[in-house]
Amino acid sequence: MVKQSEPPQARQQLVYELVSGLSGIALAIFMWGHMILVGSILTGERGFNWLAGTLEDLYIAQPTVIGVIALFLAHAVFASRKIPAQLRERRQLRDLAKGLGQSGKGWPNVAGAPAFSPHVESMLWIWQVRTGMVIVVLGSFHLVLMGLDVFTPLFGERIGIEAATTLERVRGGLWPLYAILLLCVEFHASVGLYRFAIKWGAGARLKRSVLHRIEQLLFWAILVFGVITLAVLAGWLEPPLAFLLGDNT
Amino acid sequence: MKSRSLHTTDVLVIGGGLAGERCAMEAAAEGLEVTILSLVPPRRSHSCAAQGGMQAALGNCVKGEGDNPDWHFLDTVRGSDWGADQEVARMFVDEAPRAVRELAHFGVPWTRVRPGNNDYFVKGEPVVIREAEENAGLLMHRDFGGTAKWRTCYASAGTGHAILYAIDSEVIRLGIDVWDRCEALALIHENGRCWGAIARSLRTGELTAVLANATVIATGGYGRIYGKYTTNATINYGSGAAIAFETGVVPLGNMEAVQFHPTGLWPSGILVTEGCRGDGGHLLNRELERFMVQREPEKQELASRDVVSRHMMDQIQNGNGAESGYGPHLWLDLRHLGAEHLHQKLREVVDICRDFAGIDPAQSMIPVRPTQHYSMGGIRVNKDGQAYGMAGLFAAGEAACWDMHGFNRLGGNSLAETIVAGRLVGRSVAAFARREKLDTGTALARRFLDACEADIAAWLARTGDGPRIYAIQSRMAEIMINKVGIFRNGPDLEQAVSELQDCLHDCGHAVLHSKGPGMNPELSDALRLQGMIRLAITIASGALARTESRGAHFRRDFPLRDDRHWLKRTLARWPADTTSPRLSYEPVGLIDLPPGHRGYGKAEWIELGKSLEEYNQSVGTLQDAEGRLASEEPQGSRMSWGAWKSVATTTGTSK
Amino acid sequence: MNAKTRRLTVEIFRFNPQDPDATPGTECYEIDESPYMTLYIVLTRIREEMDASLQFDFSCRSAICGSCGMLVNGRPMLACRTLTASLPQHIRLYPLPVFELVGDLSVDTGRWFRNMVQQVEGWIHERAPFDPDAQEERMSDDESLAIYESDRCIECGCCVASCGVANLKPGFAGPAGLNRMARFMMDPRDARDDEAWFDVVSNEDGVFGCIGMMACHDVCPKELPLLEVYAYLRRKTLAAGFR
Ligand SMILES: Cc1cc2nc3c(=O)[nH]c(=O)nc-3n(C[C@H](O)[C@H](O)[C@H](O)COP(=O)(O)OP(=O)(O)OC[C@H]3O[C@@H](n4cnc5c(N)ncnc54)[C@H](O)[C@@H]3O)c2cc1C
Ligand code: HEM
Ligand code: HEM
Ligand code: SF4
Ligand code: F3S
Ligand code: FES
Repeated sequence: MVKQSEPPQARQQLVYELVSGLSGIALAIFMWGHMILVGSILTGERGFNWLAGTLEDLYIAQPTVIGVIALFLAHAVFASRKIPAQLRERRQLRDLAKGLGQSGKGWPNVAGAPAFSPHVESMLWIWQVRTGMVIVVLGSFHLVLMGLDVFTPLFGERIGIEAATTLERVRGGLWPLYAILLLCVEFHASVGLYRFAIKWGAGARLKRSVLHRIEQLLFWAILVFGVITLAVLAGWLEPPLAFLLGDNT
Repeated sequence: MKSRSLHTTDVLVIGGGLAGERCAMEAAAEGLEVTILSLVPPRRSHSCAAQGGMQAALGNCVKGEGDNPDWHFLDTVRGSDWGADQEVARMFVDEAPRAVRELAHFGVPWTRVRPGNNDYFVKGEPVVIREAEENAGLLMHRDFGGTAKWRTCYASAGTGHAILYAIDSEVIRLGIDVWDRCEALALIHENGRCWGAIARSLRTGELTAVLANATVIATGGYGRIYGKYTTNATINYGSGAAIAFETGVVPLGNMEAVQFHPTGLWPSGILVTEGCRGDGGHLLNRELERFMVQREPEKQELASRDVVSRHMMDQIQNGNGAESGYGPHLWLDLRHLGAEHLHQKLREVVDICRDFAGIDPAQSMIPVRPTQHYSMGGIRVNKDGQAYGMAGLFAAGEAACWDMHGFNRLGGNSLAETIVAGRLVGRSVAAFARREKLDTGTALARRFLDACEADIAAWLARTGDGPRIYAIQSRMAEIMINKVGIFRNGPDLEQAVSELQDCLHDCGHAVLHSKGPGMNPELSDALRLQGMIRLAITIASGALARTESRGAHFRRDFPLRDDRHWLKRTLARWPADTTSPRLSYEPVGLIDLPPGHRGYGKAEWIELGKSLEEYNQSVGTLQDAEGRLASEEPQGSRMSWGAWKSVATTTGTSK
Repeated sequence: MNAKTRRLTVEIFRFNPQDPDATPGTECYEIDESPYMTLYIVLTRIREEMDASLQFDFSCRSAICGSCGMLVNGRPMLACRTLTASLPQHIRLYPLPVFELVGDLSVDTGRWFRNMVQQVEGWIHERAPFDPDAQEERMSDDESLAIYESDRCIECGCCVASCGVANLKPGFAGPAGLNRMARFMMDPRDARDDEAWFDVVSNEDGVFGCIGMMACHDVCPKELPLLEVYAYLRRKTLAAGFR
C-alpha cells in the first residue's frame, strides 16, 4: 500500500480536523449564548449589569473568557490550515466558483430534483474564509477589550463588564466595527455549521436543501437579533424590553 | 523533435477493451512483459457500454433452474443459425461459469439472488417469482432473447462498465504497461510471422515501432463503417481487423454477418433497450400506424430482433418513415405505459430520452431506427485464438472471428466471449511467447516505420480540391445502411460494391484541410479511412456472394437458409494492390448439433444433403488448406459429442 | 421543436501544445441549431465542415464512458449528453481544468485516473487466490447494490474539475478518488481492514482535504451521492482513529 503518511500522522490529522471542526462548533454555540447575554441590553442597563455581575460573581465569566480565547486561537490556527496560502490560488478558486455558477438555467435539471444552484457552496466557502480573516482581526481586538474589562479596572471604576463602559465604547465610534464583526461572525458560524453537518453526514437524514434552509434561517434570525442589540448599544433605539424590569429610562 | 522510436516487449496487445485486457492479464501473470495499446484510456473502451449482461450457465435462480453448459451450447449454436464453430462454442460454454465467478472475485458487484418474492415485468404483465433461501447471495440471472433459461448474469444496469473497471484495476495491479491514446497503424510482419506493430501516439503524432514476440488484436467492432447508424462508440473503426487485412495473408471470417438492433435512438444511434417492447411499447410509422400488427399478427412488436428490424427498414425504404431533418425514422410509442411505469421500470430509457432527445417518453414518442449493433465477423483465428496464416498473431473479442456466434450473436454472449476468450487465448499467447524467440532485426521495424511515415507524408502533401475525407466517410455509411443493411439483395449489393470501390478510389485523392503538427485529428481519421472502406467492401462482397439467408444475413432474393451450399464460413483476404477482396470458404467446423429449426424464425431451410460424418471428415484438411495454424490440442479434443442430447429432448426447442 | 431555428455561436478554447507557434486563445464558430442537437453533433460538425484541426474527445457519445467532460459555459459537464436546446445562444467551451491539456478541448483524464487508482490501490486485495472450481462466494444483494452505486463513477473528471481543492492541490485524491476509496472499503471481498484504510483516508490528501465545497456532488453527471460518501469516510476514520 502506498503510505501517504505514517499511522501516527493519520491519527494526528484526524485530531486536527476534529479540533478545527469542534472548536468552530463550540464557538458557534458560544456565540448564540453570547448574543443572548449581550442582548440583555434590550431590557436596559440594569438587566445587562445584573447579568454580567452575576456571571462574574459566580466566576463563570472569567474562565469562559479564557476558554473562549483559547478556542478562538485553536480554531484560527487549525481552520486556517485549509486556507490557500497564495493570493493567486485564492483568485483561482473564486474564478472557478463563479464559472460554475454561470451556467444559469442551462444546467439540465437532474431527475426533476429542485435546481440547487451549484456554485453556492463554493462561494460560501470562499466567503467563509474571507469572513474568518475579518474575524481574526476584529475578534482579537474585541477579545482584548473584553479581557481588559473582565480582569483589569482599565475602563470604569471596577473590574468587570459594565453597561456604561459598553455603551460608551459602542457610541464612541466602535459601532461600525461591531456591525462588521456581527455580520461576519453570523455568516461564518451558520455556514460553518451547515458545512460541518454535511461533512459528517447529516445529509443522509435531512435533504441538503433543508439543511441549507436551516442555515439561512439561523443566519437571519441571529443577525436581526444582533442588529437590534447593536442599535440599542449605539443608542439609536430605546431598550424595547425595558418594560420587563419595570424600568422606564 | 524526436518523431520515431523503438520499443520491445514480450507481448503486444492492441486494444484495451475487455478482451484485450483479460488476455494481457493472462500473459502478465505468467511473468511476461506486456504492452497494451488503446485509442482511449482502457476504461473508455466500448465494452463499458454493455448494460444487459453476460451469459454463464450457473442456474442459480428459479427461472434458471437446471441450467447447464449443454443448454447454453444448444442456445448458442441455434442462435448462430449453425454458423458457429461448435467446438469453440463448447469451450466457451464450459468456461463461462469460471469466467463469471472470477469476475466476482475481482470485485464486480453482480446482482445477487434475493430470497423470497421478487417482482418482475414480463411482456406487459407483472409477475412475482419466489427465490429459494438456499440460493441467497449467489449470482442472479435475467432473461435474454434466445435462451431457454434465465442465464444472463448482470450488475444492475451497468454490467460492461462494472466488468471493465474490475479488469482494468487488475491490469493496473499487475503493473501492465498501457499506452493509451495510441493507435496501431500497421503490423510488422515478414514471411508469415508477426513481430509487433507500428503505433502512433494520439497525443503527439509520434510513431513507435513496437517489436513483440506475440501480438494480439482485440480492437472490438467496426460499427463506424455504418457511420451514425450504429450503436457502437465513435472509436469503433475496426482498424484492428483492417491492419490484419492489410497483411494480405490473414483472412477475415464471415464479414457479412452484421447484427442490427431494431431500436437505436434517432439520430444519435444510442441503444434503447428491448425492454421497452417487452413491456408493451408500440412501433409506429409516419402515419402513426402500428405496422407490426399487420406484418406479424402473431408476435407483433415482440418478434425477434432481426425480424422486427427488417419490417422497420421496409417501412423506411417504402417512404413510411417520419422526417426529422436527419433522415427518416420511425416512432417507438411508450406513452400508454404511463409515467409511473416508465420511471420505475424503464428509468434508463427515460434518462436517455431526456439527455439525448430532450423528450419525456411519457409525453412524446421516441424517434428510433434499426441500427448496426454487433459484428460477428472478424479476424479468423483457430481455437487458440491464433490468426490464420500468420504465426505470432492472435485475436480475441469482437475483433476476432473465433467463431462462437456464427451468423447471429445472442445477447449476453459477447461480454462472456471477451472474458472467456481473454482467458483461453491469453494462455496460448503466453505459451507461444515463452516458446518462441523474439528474433528480428530493427531493419524490419524501420521498413514498416518508413512505410507509415510515407503514408502520412503523402496525405499531408496532397493539395488541390479533392474530396474531404468526411464526405467519403458519410457516403460509405449511407451505402452501407441502405444497401448492405438489414435487407439485402443481389442488385443492391452489386451497386454497393461498385460505389464503395469509388469511395476507395476517392480516398486516394482526398485532401486534408488540417495539416498542423501533433496528432491532427483529421489526419488520424484519414489514416483509418482506407481500411474502413476495405472492410465495407468485404462485407458487401461477402453478402453478395452468399446466396442464402442465415441469421442476421438476410437476402430477399434467397430467403432460405441453405445448408447444402452454404454451411460454410466466408474467408476474405485482401491481396496487395487490388480493389476487392479474394473470397474463399471453409467448413464451419466440426458439427455436433445437426442443423435444424432454431425454435424461432423461419421453420424452413435447405437440407445439408449429406451425413454429419461426411461433413466432419473433411473439416480439418479444408481448414488447414485455408491457413489454419495447428492449435495446441488437436481439433475436436474439446467437443463433448452428443452432450446436448441430454437437454434437447427435455423440451424440444427453446421457449 | 419546430420553432424557428437559432444560429448558435460556439466559442471554443484553442491551443495545440504540439505547435511551437501556437498561443492559447478562443475561436468562434457559427452553426444552425437542429432538433436533438447535442454538443457531440455540434463539435463533430465543426470538425467535419469548418475546422478539421479541432481536437476533442468522444467515445461512447452516450454518457457512459466519461471521455467528453468539458467546461460548458463554465460548468463541467458531459458534452455528449448536453442538448444545445438547454443552452443559451452563445456557448463557451473550455477544456476541464486540473487535467493536463492534450489540445483544444481534449484533456488527459486517463492518466490522472490511472494515477488515482494507483494511489488508492483501487483493486480488490484478495483474501485468498481464486478457486476456479468453487461456487462463487455469497454476498447480499443489498451489499452488492451499495458497491454498485459507488462503482458507477465513469471517471469523467467533472467533479475533479469543479473542486476547488483538487484545482489547487495536486496530491488531493479528489472527489472521484475519495469515492473510489469508499467503494473498496465497503467491499467485503477486499482484505484491507479499517486500520489499513485509516492511513490512506485520514489526511489532507484523503478525506480531510475536502472542505465541503460540494460542487463535485452538484456536477456529477452520474448523480453519485458524493457527499454521503465523504461522510461515510469521515465516520469510518473516526471509528478507526479512536478504537
Ligand atoms: C450499446 C451496446 C450494448 C451492448 N450490450 C451488450 C450486452 O448487454 N451483453 C453482451 O454480452 N454484449 C453487449 N454488447 C457487445 C459487447 O459490449 C462488445 O462486443 C464487447 O464489449 C467488445 O469487447 P472488445 O474487448 O472486443 O472490444 P472493445 O471493448 O470495443 O475494445 C476495443 C479496444 O481496442 C482499442 N483499439 C481499437 N482500435 C485500435 C487501434 N488501431 N490501435 C490501438 N487500439 C485500438 C480501443 O481503444 C479499445 O480499447 C453491447 C454492445 C453495444 C454497442
Ligand atoms: C479566528 C478567526 C476565524 C477564522 C480564521 C476561521 C476560519 C475558518 C475556516 C477557514 C473554516 C473552514 C475550515 C474547513 O472547511 O475545514 C472555518 C470553519 C468553521 N468556523 Fe471558523 N474561523 C474563525 C472564527 C470562527 C468563529 C468565531 C466561529 C464561531 C462563531 C467559527 C465557526 C466555524 C465553524 C462552525 C466552522 C465549521 C467547521 C468545520 O466545517 O469543520 N469560526 N473557520
Ligand atoms: C470572550 C468572551 C466574550 C465576551 C465576554 C464578550 C462580551 C461582549 C460584550 C460585553 C459586548 C458588548 C459590546 C462591548 O462591550 O464592547 C459584545 C459585543 C459583541 N461581541 Fe463579544 N464577547 C466575547 C467574545 C466574542 C467573540 C469570540 C466574538 C466573535 C468573534 C464576539 C463578537 C461580538 C460581536 C459581533 C458583538 C456585537 C454584538 C451586537 O452588537 O449585536 N464576542 N461582546
Ligand atoms: S464521481 Fe461523478 S463527476 Fe466524478 S468522475 Fe465519477 S462520474 Fe465523473
Ligand atoms: S468540491 Fe471538493 S472540497 Fe469536497 S465537497 Fe467536493 S471534494
Ligand atoms: S462520449 Fe462517452 S461520456 Fe460523452
